[in-house]
Amino acid sequence: MIKLENISFDHCIKCTVCTIYCPVARVTHLYPGPKQSGPDTERLRIKNPQLLDISLKYCSNCKRCEIACPSDVKIADIIQTAKWRYSKKEFRIRDFLLSRTDLMGTFGTIFSPIVNFFTHLGIVKYFLDLVFQIPKGRTFPNYASMTFRKWFKEARKYQNKYLEKVVYFHGCYVNYNYPQLGKDVVKVLNALGKGVIITKEKCCGVPLIANGYIKKAQSHGRHNIRVLSRALPHEQARIVSASSSCSLALKHEYPNLLELDNTPIANNIAYITQYVLEEFEKGNIPNLKPLKYTVAYHSPCHLERMGNVAFTIELLRKIPGLTVKILHSECCGISGTYGFKNEYYAISQAVGSELFKIIEEASPDFVVTDCETCKWQIEMNTKYTVVHPISLLAEAIE
Amino acid sequence: MKFDCIIIGGGISGLTAGIRCVKEGLHTAIISSGMSALHFSSGSIDVLGYINNKVVYKPFEALDTLTGTIAQHPYAKCGKALIVEALQFFKQECETQNVYLFDNENLNHFHVTALGTLKPTYFSQRSVFNEDVYNRFKSMKKIVIVNFEGYRDFHPQLAAAQLSKHALFANCEIIAKSIDMPQLQDLTRHPHEYRSIDIARIFENEENVYRIADAIRLAAEGADFVVIPAFMGIHNFNQIHNILQSRTRLLIYEIPTLPPSILGLRIDNALKSRFAQLGGVYIAGDKVVRAESSNDVVQAVYTANHPENPLEAKFYILSTGSFFSGGMISEFNNMYEPVFKLKLHYEPERNKWYSPQFFYSNSHPFLEYGVVTDENLRPYDSKNNIIQNVYCSGAILAHYNPIREGCGSGVAISTAYKAANQIISLYKLMR
Ligand SMILES: Cc1cc2nc3c(=O)[nH]c(=O)nc-3n(C[C@H](O)[C@H](O)[C@H](O)COP(=O)(O)OP(=O)(O)OC[C@H]3O[C@@H](n4cnc5c(N)ncnc54)[C@H](O)[C@@H]3O)c2cc1C
Ligand code: SF4
Ligand code: SF4
Repeated sequence: MIKLENISFDHCIKCTVCTIYCPVARVTHLYPGPKQSGPDTERLRIKNPQLLDISLKYCSNCKRCEIACPSDVKIADIIQTAKWRYSKKEFRIRDFLLSRTDLMGTFGTIFSPIVNFFTHLGIVKYFLDLVFQIPKGRTFPNYASMTFRKWFKEARKYQNKYLEKVVYFHGCYVNYNYPQLGKDVVKVLNALGKGVIITKEKCCGVPLIANGYIKKAQSHGRHNIRVLSRALPHEQARIVSASSSCSLALKHEYPNLLELDNTPIANNIAYITQYVLEEFEKGNIPNLKPLKYTVAYHSPCHLERMGNVAFTIELLRKIPGLTVKILHSECCGISGTYGFKNEYYAISQAVGSELFKIIEEASPDFVVTDCETCKWQIEMNTKYTVVHPISLLAEAIE
Repeated sequence: MKFDCIIIGGGISGLTAGIRCVKEGLHTAIISSGMSALHFSSGSIDVLGYINNKVVYKPFEALDTLTGTIAQHPYAKCGKALIVEALQFFKQECETQNVYLFDNENLNHFHVTALGTLKPTYFSQRSVFNEDVYNRFKSMKKIVIVNFEGYRDFHPQLAAAQLSKHALFANCEIIAKSIDMPQLQDLTRHPHEYRSIDIARIFENEENVYRIADAIRLAAEGADFVVIPAFMGIHNFNQIHNILQSRTRLLIYEIPTLPPSILGLRIDNALKSRFAQLGGVYIAGDKVVRAESSNDVVQAVYTANHPENPLEAKFYILSTGSFFSGGMISEFNNMYEPVFKLKLHYEPERNKWYSPQFFYSNSHPFLEYGVVTDENLRPYDSKNNIIQNVYCSGAILAHYNPIREGCGSGVAISTAYKAANQIISLYKLMR
């Protein structure tokens, strides 16, 4: 039986524009590029799944091909779907662990000093490389000693003094690795006069999708749609997220890839900078003190795919005193868990090299970007600290 | 979000208008849904190549003849002085990004196509048109056309055969050579699957350039100049060209390839970098799906990714291109412009849209279809009212034929410049 749910491959005019903009095809000939792995072979795959070309596993799902395509072909979605629909799943403990951000996070935060100590130790890295095929050169994000959710238990008490409420989807990274960003989000939203609600969310599912755990991702998705929609205080209320990949998942990947009905929340989701900018444009601007920095802004692939980069840039421009250098759009190469795997590590580093070069050339005080994994990749490969736009705004708020 | 000017469509036209607007201090955004026709074009800028199937040598003189017969022609709305100014502006902006455009002192010149035909054009990049080639043209004895083994989109023998038919090359020996570079084959799983972009990337690695230069020198023995497909990189092409020429001591000339066009990509890159450098906001991969207006004034537009979130501006430029890029949509028996539902010029009967022969000398009528505008490039809505704050530029405009007249990029640049000018003067009045 031919499955015909994504026939956008039929609109492909074979112009090869997608392949020009694919960062993976640029650095390795092991990957034939989006045109071939996407629309070209999808024709064959739908007839006979055995014609699956395993080289498509090199796709990092950055979605740059979809931005470039003049014919609206959902190339990356075709490739992602083919990966899990047609390929035989082999169990890999590494992929299992890398995709269980919540499980790893719970463990990591409880034992954070020990875990952080060990993940920085040379001998442990050697072991990770040997046993798990996790590259030695890779640095790991630290686990926090107290989760964001735990901190929020206190903060929740004073959210009731705000009449209007916003639902905040914080994501695993904020919870386990970087609660400070979550605190900054709460500070900014409170400064705008909005109280914050958080739900019993699960991981958005991005790492699960990337590692082929589709059923699990679907069950997380269903859960999140349910708890988020229930938490909405009224129909027009907003769900904000400060992670570009979580937002992309909630908004696009749930319906397009996981075939979940996200209509109860779809129109309420806003990436945080968009929400804040909307408030600013309504005149709801807190007092801002000037920040005399020169920053280089890197636009994450998934934020670009959502068409949200402009909101972040506009918001940064509203911070007094700040000089923003917009870097030429390049993929940093890490693509979530992709850069954590031996077989892709060299590719991931080669993809990022362009970006690292232009960051060095810009020589800013620090780098600003919206994505947590971009942050790890840039901090590992340049001498610069990477800050989230909302943290910068939080600093400017008096 | 609020802007002074929102440009819909990021092709050569939208980018030219965008650069002009940000330079004058307007807060400007470009929204573009996919990559533009520059990725398919030759990378040379045609202003006016043919009239009545005859080659034009002096485009600015021929303009009067053209606009004399087609009063509605976009060039007629621009006027000669503005067209000259627009082209100079475009040239200078490209130069800021190290893309150097040569003109032939206001005359057209010829560039060689991948099929070996000669096409009149106005501006070409340094590696395609330059004084050296021009001066040596008459005394030339031997030309070598080189291809790279494994690149399947170019046939040097065909190009050589075609070129030698041309009177200009009557006394010239033209030979075709193929360069086999085993070191390059290591780089790929399927050596027969090279596309222009793969080879351009091989050129961008400096180590390879020296090896390629040596291979070219070997292949080109005794030639006056060497023609290669346009592979000399997307970013550091000037440097690559210099290395190749100095190491081989030959004149090396690029010809455009089949899409994706490396020469076109260079211009696309240059214009986008320039726009960003000046502070313009480029929103890629999002499509404007509808507009909101009241009393013939557009208030806001909405995109596919943000159906609930208005993008507002005082002025709009519609440069969404023709059918190919989705600027206009054709259905079985009708055509429409999807963003503002503008009034179009076209024949309602489908069988009048195209000519029976594919390569018909008068080209196909549908190429002349498009948005109808007033003298100032403002369009009409379905009720025949002028939309006050929208201007149209580029391939979406009606009443010209980019193929038959050889004027695609010239019209795109001139009308963009004109539209931007109108907006800039109104903007200054408002302040
Ligand atoms: C194959 C080919 C070869 C050519 N070769 C030459 C040549 O050698 N020399 C020459 O001078 N001219 C050439 N031309 C003609 C010339 O390139 C075009 O006339 C010119 O590029 C048109 O530019 P444009 O900016 O108006 O439109 P386009 O380049 O078509 O750009 C339109 C852009 O708008 C975007 N868009 C469309 N709808 C929307 C929407 N709703 N929302 C957001 N964005 C949207 C599209 O994605 C596209 O990026 C060629 C044209 C083609 C098709
Ligand atoms: S860019 Fe789109 S139309 Fe062009 S080859 Fe790729 S998928 Fe096909
Ligand atoms: S999603 Fe990214 S890596 Fe995958 S094919 Fe598209 S451009 Fe290449």
